[in-house]
Parts: sequence; structure tokens; C-alpha cells
Amino acid sequence: MPDFQPKTIQKLFIANRGEIACRTIRTCWEIGIRTVVGYSDCDALSYHVKLSDEAVHLGPSPAMLSYMDIGKVVDAARKTGCDAVFPGYGFLSENPEFARACRDAGLIFIGPTSEVIARMGDKIATKKALADAGVPIIPGLPKATSAEQLIAFGNDAGWPIMIKAVAGGGGRGMHRLDSADQAGAALERAVSASRKLFGSDEVYAEKYIRGARHIEFQFIADAYGGVIHLGDRECSIQRRHQKLVEEAPSSLLDDRLRNEMGRVVVKAAKEIGYVTAGTLEFLVAPDLRYYAIEVNPRIQVEHTVTEMIVGLDIIRMMIRMAVGTPLRFRQEEIRIGGHAIQCRVNAEDPRNDFAPSYGTVTYLRQVSGPFVRADSGILQGSEIPPFYDSLISKICSVGKDRPTAIERMRRALSEFNIWGVKTTIPLLKKIMVHPDFVSGRFDTDFIDEHLDELLDYVEDEDEILKISRFIAEITALGKNPYCR
Amino acid sequence: MTIHPKKSPRENVAALRSDRRVYFTNTGPRDTGQSDFKNRHTLYDLIRLAPLYNRSGYFSIENHGGARFHQNLLQNMTDPFEEARLWKDRMPDVMTQTLVRSTNLWGYRMYPRNVIRLSVKAFLPYVDVWRCFDFLNYVPNMIPIAEEVTRGGKLFQPAISFGVSDDCTDAYYLNVTGEILGMTGGTEAIILCIKDMAGVGSPARIARLTDALLQKYPDLVIQYHRHATDGLAVPALAAAAKAGVKILDVTDDPFTRYYGHAPVRAVQALLTEMGIETSLDIPMVDQAAGEIAGFIGHYQEFESQFRGFSYQVTEHRMPGGAFPSSFEQADKGGFLPLMPYILRGMSTGNRFIKYFDVTPGSQITWTTWAGIIQYHYKEGGLKQVEDLLDLCGRFIANGRSPEDLKQEEKDILFGLYARATDDLKNLLLGKYGPLPFGWPADWVYQSVFGEAWREKIAKDRFEASPLARKPDEEIGRLREELQKKIERHPTEDELVLYLQHPGAAVDFIRFRTRFGDTSALPTGVWFDGLKEAGSEVTFETHGKPNTIKLISIGQEMDGVKHVVLSVNSTMHVFPVEMPSRKAARKAGPRFADPDVPGQVASPLMGNVWRIGDKDRLLKIGDIVKEGEEIVNIEAMKVETAVLSPIHGVIKEIAVKLNEAVVGKQLLMVLEELPPEDLKRNRRSKSGRKAR
Repeated sequence: MPDFQPKTIQKLFIANRGEIACRTIRTCWEIGIRTVVGYSDCDALSYHVKLSDEAVHLGPSPAMLSYMDIGKVVDAARKTGCDAVFPGYGFLSENPEFARACRDAGLIFIGPTSEVIARMGDKIATKKALADAGVPIIPGLPKATSAEQLIAFGNDAGWPIMIKAVAGGGGRGMHRLDSADQAGAALERAVSASRKLFGSDEVYAEKYIRGARHIEFQFIADAYGGVIHLGDRECSIQRRHQKLVEEAPSSLLDDRLRNEMGRVVVKAAKEIGYVTAGTLEFLVAPDLRYYAIEVNPRIQVEHTVTEMIVGLDIIRMMIRMAVGTPLRFRQEEIRIGGHAIQCRVNAEDPRNDFAPSYGTVTYLRQVSGPFVRADSGILQGSEIPPFYDSLISKICSVGKDRPTAIERMRRALSEFNIWGVKTTIPLLKKIMVHPDFVSGRFDTDFIDEHLDELLDYVEDEDEILKISRFIAEITALGKNPYCR
Repeated sequence: MTIHPKKSPRENVAALRSDRRVYFTNTGPRDTGQSDFKNRHTLYDLIRLAPLYNRSGYFSIENHGGARFHQNLLQNMTDPFEEARLWKDRMPDVMTQTLVRSTNLWGYRMYPRNVIRLSVKAFLPYVDVWRCFDFLNYVPNMIPIAEEVTRGGKLFQPAISFGVSDDCTDAYYLNVTGEILGMTGGTEAIILCIKDMAGVGSPARIARLTDALLQKYPDLVIQYHRHATDGLAVPALAAAAKAGVKILDVTDDPFTRYYGHAPVRAVQALLTEMGIETSLDIPMVDQAAGEIAGFIGHYQEFESQFRGFSYQVTEHRMPGGAFPSSFEQADKGGFLPLMPYILRGMSTGNRFIKYFDVTPGSQITWTTWAGIIQYHYKEGGLKQVEDLLDLCGRFIANGRSPEDLKQEEKDILFGLYARATDDLKNLLLGKYGPLPFGWPADWVYQSVFGEAWREKIAKDRFEASPLARKPDEEIGRLREELQKKIERHPTEDELVLYLQHPGAAVDFIRFRTRFGDTSALPTGVWFDGLKEAGSEVTFETHGKPNTIKLISIGQEMDGVKHVVLSVNSTMHVFPVEMPSRKAARKAGPRFADPDVPGQVASPLMGNVWRIGDKDRLLKIGDIVKEGEEIVNIEAMKVETAVLSPIHGVIKEIAVKLNEAVVGKQLLMVLEELPPEDLKRNRRSKSGRKAR
């Protein structure tokens, strides 16, 4: 049983920025919690600062000196009289030190305990915990130190295999090995990359699942061992492990498999001792075998699609669980209705190797209309700073079925209009009409396999913006130099 | 029977033949604009005339072709396709007309047959009458155009380039006409145009030629195209009509100046007095005139530097379309005072090398004589120029034998074409086709090609059709080339523009990418922008009204002015770089030339985080190895290493530490060194890592 009694939150510190901070403020307003956000130098005029009831300056623009400085964040929360902290995603959300520092400062940390976060941050420990809870995990070699070991493992589990950095994440420091030859060279490469990227020599190996889909389950756990899941999300449309499009439910799973995986997820969360909301990520092979990969002990960017089809506010539930409110729903009461899709609008130029595109948003027409939700962290006039994640807006559509949700998403993407920065919108539009996406025939390689087709778009600014630019130029010069 | 674009060429020609009335082609939108307003008329103004022209009783409206095509890409920033479509759309009951220069089509060089066919086909849906001339009257040059136009069901209008000289006899033109009719298979479905592009045909001369043509080909429908330069256009047109010409080229009264075309109302009035009926609906013609009077004031600054008729044209023969642009060039080049001498030179030159002064011949004549006169002026002032022209004059008067000249005179004459352009050389080698009155005298070749002139003639001069020898263009390759330049798939329209004018088309497409379709803007705003705070412009895009209002223009700071506009009620600040700064930076950030391996480009927008790698900072003169990290660009927490594409020495570092750079901006210039064994020090090729 938990070591705390149900409490209430009067004032919440949101240790984040951008769309997730704004989205959290909205929930707080609904349930009567005042909000405080921190901000860095470049974020002084940002939307999350404007929207929040109060704000505290944290420090210089680089995240290490502001949003990721535990001392400053905890201090800001305390000084403003907050009783709880919500970390969002990224920044300090998966930092066990931060969760501990909050607890030590007498602040409710809205997320799992520091210990759970620490365990979920260690891949090997996570795998062990999951395996102990009976969750199928990818056959692996926990510690790869020699070529012989790799060969033996590959022969046993089946080729190809992946060599990964123990300290790695986010898809970095991974090396694929297709057969026994060159095992030595591959190991050497993986170790050297791990040392360079993460400062650690430790690598491990896993079976590589061909044609896999990335499917994850959202679960909610109260402080009393009550756990339910809110169904699955399909996140296979990703590039270099960065998700671009998410949907719920996955078109791959049938009800039998969904229920089976859900039971596995609930059991695991219970055994891990999880509280609030989390995600268990799986790779699902074409033969429908599924393998857990990791647990995300925080809110996910794509939690929206689940909210849209189960009708529950996940952040609201996290706050409830964190203060010790017991779950009010039983699993059987969770009804999944319809289909939701989310597109991530990033300030990036897909045609230039997805290079970040920052600058001033000089015009912004957000999407709205029936069955469309937009979670955005920007306003017209906002600066997109170069210091943080490039996600600027999330567009979510919902419909009675997948084709309807796709139609609505196409409509929403067409309505979205932004001037000043390049975005992933044209790429997202291409994905939404790609026959393989539309028919549901895809796996995690979809973007890589079809990249040339998907990037074959004409990116065009609004005609009126271009003409305005012309008038401005001629007006400043006093005469048209092009016709003279 | 009436004329209508929906009818077949045969039906329309038959209708003309059986109609006792005289018809008109209005050249206002194209040739008149070219001759007197340097083609600057905006589509915004011109297209307002379409619904009026549609009901004015004209045979056709010349709205397309000639130099306007190029000028649209170069300075009007108007898409020739959009322009052609708009006319067709707004003027469905009157024929639209273009002018093509045989193998040069709408450009200034000979295109291969497949390019000609492709380009003609692309415009066939929007153009009903295709007037086609060749500056050598070399009929085989017209064949691919005649074939495509006929196959497309449009009216082909072959033109004979008309001039006045001892050689330009009735017999000569009957001969050319015979060749043309041989190509078109008779007079049934064509109109023959007498193209008097300089405006030199006297009333009597035109009447005589018309009579001669109709004597031999009584069913031939003839159109007379005549510029007004000599001042005799109205009586000449009237004389032509009286002699049996069916269609006359005219323009709206307020469009008339000096080098374009005769005023429609004057011609119509004179014809009426002579008892000749016309097809015009006068009130509609006058409405169009009223519309033009309302906007023509915008174009004053583009009218010719030299204004007034010039009977002298009968000697120098400069065509109406080239007149003002030549004066403009002379003015810009600072040699306007030499113009009378250049014109005199042209008058002599056309007796040495005989062809018709119309594109591309007029350009050859102009560049040749502007060059010769300027050269001699720089050498020995006006005295030397006058001596040269006197010598030429004497030489012609004395029967044209160089042997009669003194040695020093011979030297001058033989040096006349010593700096001949490639175009002139090509002309003399038959690369445009055989010259209409034979090759020039030997001394001309000696002057142009020097001592080896005989060998040059023997080896390189051709009599046969140059078009037949010209290999087809690889369209696919050019499409890829264009795609690379504009960084997207070109449309079929854009490809055709590129095939005509590669440089201008690319610049035009880039302009459009940056500024959109500016042809929606009222002319005043197009020329001069918004003048003062509070002034606004309203225009439509896709039928939707837009209002852009000037709020303020900031003071110039660091070479930039900030212009605040209210764009459809939303404020926007546009930083505009002023010429001072542009000049200082030499046209924006310098971009690396992808074709030069030593020019290193920034792969993305970001900040220059480091010049060199973490172990070694680089400076000019350092030697770098292929694959070595030479610059590091940081953007949104991600460092991107820029690796040296070659083994070389640093000649220039074009950016500073912490400088903000954009994608493709030039970072460094390397000079390639001979290869060496680099394996000892090969670095990882993977560029990006998280920080």
C-alpha cells in the first residue's frame, strides 16, 4: 500500500514548454488547479507562458541551463507555492533524480516513483522486470562482449540481429548484423559508437524483427494496485525512431489479440509497481507475435489519439492517481469508439534531411472544425527557437472508422496554414494519400522505404503572402526593378 | 458566312474570300506594344480589352508571340501560357493570333525540329492564327510549324518578309509565294501575309505587289502587315485594300505612336470614303479606345527615347519592333549620339550582305553595326566613323570592286567585319539557311574569316536546309536539367518555356516561387508599389478579393527597410533589403555552386558552431583531407558535421564563427590537391550526432 494519503493540488508546476505545457494547463483549468510554468530566455513570450496563471524565469535558453536544471525547476515550484509538479515528456520527465528531488522538496511528482523511473531507464532491468511479469520480450543477449557470443546468439534466435548501446535510446547507436560474418567488425563499430555517443562501452544484442509494427498500450495505475489499459496505439509511421503519425486503434490487432496484450500490460504494470499513466511499447511481427521493447514512464506525445476514442482525459487521470484517488473504472467499462489519427507538425524541412527550421511564425491558421483537435504550442507571431524539440503542433482527427479519420485528417492538414517556417505538413499530406498507408499495409520501415515518393511534393507558400512580399519590396525600393 | 475560331481554317478562309468587306487584325496587345512600349503592357491592363475586342468585329487579335514571349519571362513576370489561356477564355468569338519566327519560334536561336513541334503543340489550344515568317524567306524553315498548325486544325498564315530594294521584285515574291503554296498545298486553307515589318512599302508598291499576287493566284487571301515608321501607313493600307488585300493590320487609336501600326479609326474612315466596307463594330472599337486611354499613361517611361516618324527607315530598314529597343540600348550603353551613324551603317551594310531585317536578321544587323561604329569611334572619333561611312558609300557607288580601291582603303574595308559576331559568321555559313539573294562577295568572307576564308567556305558553308541537319534535342535530359535548377518537377508548360529561353525561364520560375503571380496586381502597383501610408490595393485571386494596405515604411537601418503591410486585415512586417546592402553582399548570401567540388555548402540552416573539428580549428591555407570535418553547423541541439568533399587547401572561409547560415550557403572554398593515401586517417562519415 502506498505511503501517502490522498491529497489535493491547488497549484501545479508544469516543468515543460510548448504544446504539452499548454495542453496540461487546459486540463488544470477544467479541474480548478492554478498553474505555474517555467520559461527560458527565448521563451519569455511563448504561448505556454501567456496561457499559464503564473510563470517563473528559469534561466538561459539552452535547456540544460533552464528546463533541465533540476535545482532551478524545483526551486521555482517551491517558491511559487506549488504543491505538485508535472514533467510532461522530454526534458526531466524520465530523470529519476528529478522525481526524487520533487519528493524530497515535498512536491507531488505526477508520474511513477523515482525508483520505477530509474528501473525503466535501464533497458536490461526493464527487460528483466517485464520478463518476470510474463511479458514476451525480444530474444536478446544482455551483454555482448565477443563475436563468438554474437554468432551463437544469432544462430539461436535467427538472423538478423541488432547490436545496441545499453546506455542508448531514441534509435541512436544501433547496428544491424545480417549474418555471422563480420560479427567482430560490427561489434567493434557498435562499441566505438556507444563510447562516442553515450560514454559507455556496454552493448547488447537483440533479434531483429522483420516487417514489425510499433504498437503500444496506454495504461493507468492508481496508488492501490488498480490498473487498467486504454487500448493500443499504432506508431509505425516513424523516421529514425521519431514518430510522425500515430493512430488508435491499430488496424493490425483483432479484439482477441488486443485483449490478450492488454491483460499482459496490466499484469506487468501491477508487478512493476507503477502509478499514474505509462506506455508499454511492443514490436508486433507479421505473424502477430509480439515482443515488448520498453516502458515509457510518462505522458506520451500521442496520448491524444487514445483520449479521442476512449473519451478520457489522461492527464486529468494522472493528476488524480498522483494524489491518491483510486481508479473509478473497471477494465470492462472502457469502451473504445471509432478511430483517431494524429499527425505531428514539426518545424523541420523534410526535403532537407529533416533539418530544423526555426524563425518567426508570421501567420498561423490553426485547424478546427468537426472531429478535429489541435494541440499547439505556438501562436501567430511566435518565434520557433533553435534550442528545443521541433514539434510545434499536433493535429488529431477522429471518425467512426479509419477511412473517415483519414479523410478528416487530409482536410485538417489542408486547412493548417503557417508562414515563416518550414514544416512536415506537406510530407504528412503525402502520407495521408499513400496507398499503403491508406490500406494499412505498412511497418516501421514505411517512411524509409517510400521516402523519395513522400518527399516528392511541391511546397508552396500562400499566394497572397508571396504577392505581399512583392508589394513590400517594390514599396521599399520605390519602383519595380524587375520591369526596368 | 462569318469568321469564327470554332470553324475550320478552310471555312474561315472561304468566308473571307466571299466577303466583300475588309477585315482587320488588331496588333495592339502584341506588336504595337512591342514597337512603341517595349512590351511592357501588363496582362492586367490588356486583358480588360478582351471582352470588348470580342465584339468589335476584328478578324483576329494579335495577343501572343514575337518578343512579348521573352519579355513576359524577362520583365513582365507573366506566364505566356497563362496569358494565352486568359485571352482565349475571355475572347471566345474572335481569333487569337501569334507571330512565330520560323525556326526561331519565339526565341533568338534556331531550335531543333522536335522542340519546334513540341512548343507549337503546347500553344495550339489557345492560338487560332499562326503567322510565320522567315528572315531569309527560306520556306523549308517553316515546314514543321506549318505541319503542326495544320494538323492541329488551326489557321496557318505564312508571311513573306517584305522589303524595298532592287532585288525585292514582284518576280521574287511570286517565286517565294509559289514555294509557300507548294508547302501548304494551295491557297484553300491559308492566308498569305505581306510582312512589311519596317514600314517601307509605298502605296503604289504594295498595290502593285498585291495585284501581281492576285493575278497569279486569284483565290489567295492576302493580309497586309505594316508598321508605321515611314509615316505612310494609312494610305499604304488603303491602297492595299483597294488592290484586293482582305485583312489589314491596325491598332487602337490610343495605342498608336510611330513604329507600331496605323490607327484603326483613320484607316476605317479612309476606306469608307473610298467606298470599301469594313467588318468593324465602331462603338465597340471606341469603347476599347476609351479603356486604353485610361491606362496608357502608365507606360510613358517605356516609350522610345526617339519619338517621331522616320522616312529614313526606307534606307536603314530597321523594323518597328527593333526601333525603340535599339535606341534604349544605345541610351543605356551611352552611345545614343552615334545612332545616326549606326543607321547609316545599316543602310550600307544591307547592300553588302542581303537578307531581311527582322528577327534574327535585325539583331545581327544591329549588333554588327553598333559594334563597327563604336569601334571606329573609339579608334578615331567621329572623323574616322565618317570616313568609314564615306568609303562604304563610295565603294557602293563605284560598282563594288575592291580592286579599284587604294591599299589603305582596302585595308579599312577588309577590316570592316573583322570583329564579326558568331551570329554573323553563322549567317554567312548558311546556318540559318541560304541567303535570299545569294552569298555576299568574296571580300566580305575575307573580312569576316580572315586569310583562311576560302577553306572556311569550302568546308563549312551549306546550301541545304539547316533545320534538316539539326539533331533533335534530348527533351528528357533538359527536363532533368530544369528539375535540378528549380528543385521540383517542372510542369509541361515550364518545360516549353525552358526550351525557348532557358535562362529567362528559370529566373521567371524562381520569381514566381518567391513572389507568386503578380499579374493579378493593378499596373500602378506593379510598377511602383504602394506610395504612402494608408494607400491600399485590392485585387482578386481565384475570384476572392484581397486588400493589402501600406501601414508604414521604416527608416533604412543596416541596409534594411521594414515595410508593414496589412494583408487582408492581418499585420505583417516584411524586411526588405535595400540595394546598398545587396551590393555590399553581392546579391544575398553566397551560395555554393554544386558543380564545383571545391565550394562547400551548408547542408542546412543553423549557426556556425565550429570551423574545423574538435581537435583542430581551421584557417585559410590549411590542408584538409577528404571526409575530414571542416565546419560544424548547429541547429536545434543537433550538430551537423560538414565534411570536406575533396583533399585540398583552404582558399577562402566564407563564414564567421557563430554566424547564422542558410542551406546551401557557401562555407568554404577549397582548391583540390593531388590525391594521397588517406586511409591512415579516415574518419567516420556519419555526420550527425546529438549534443
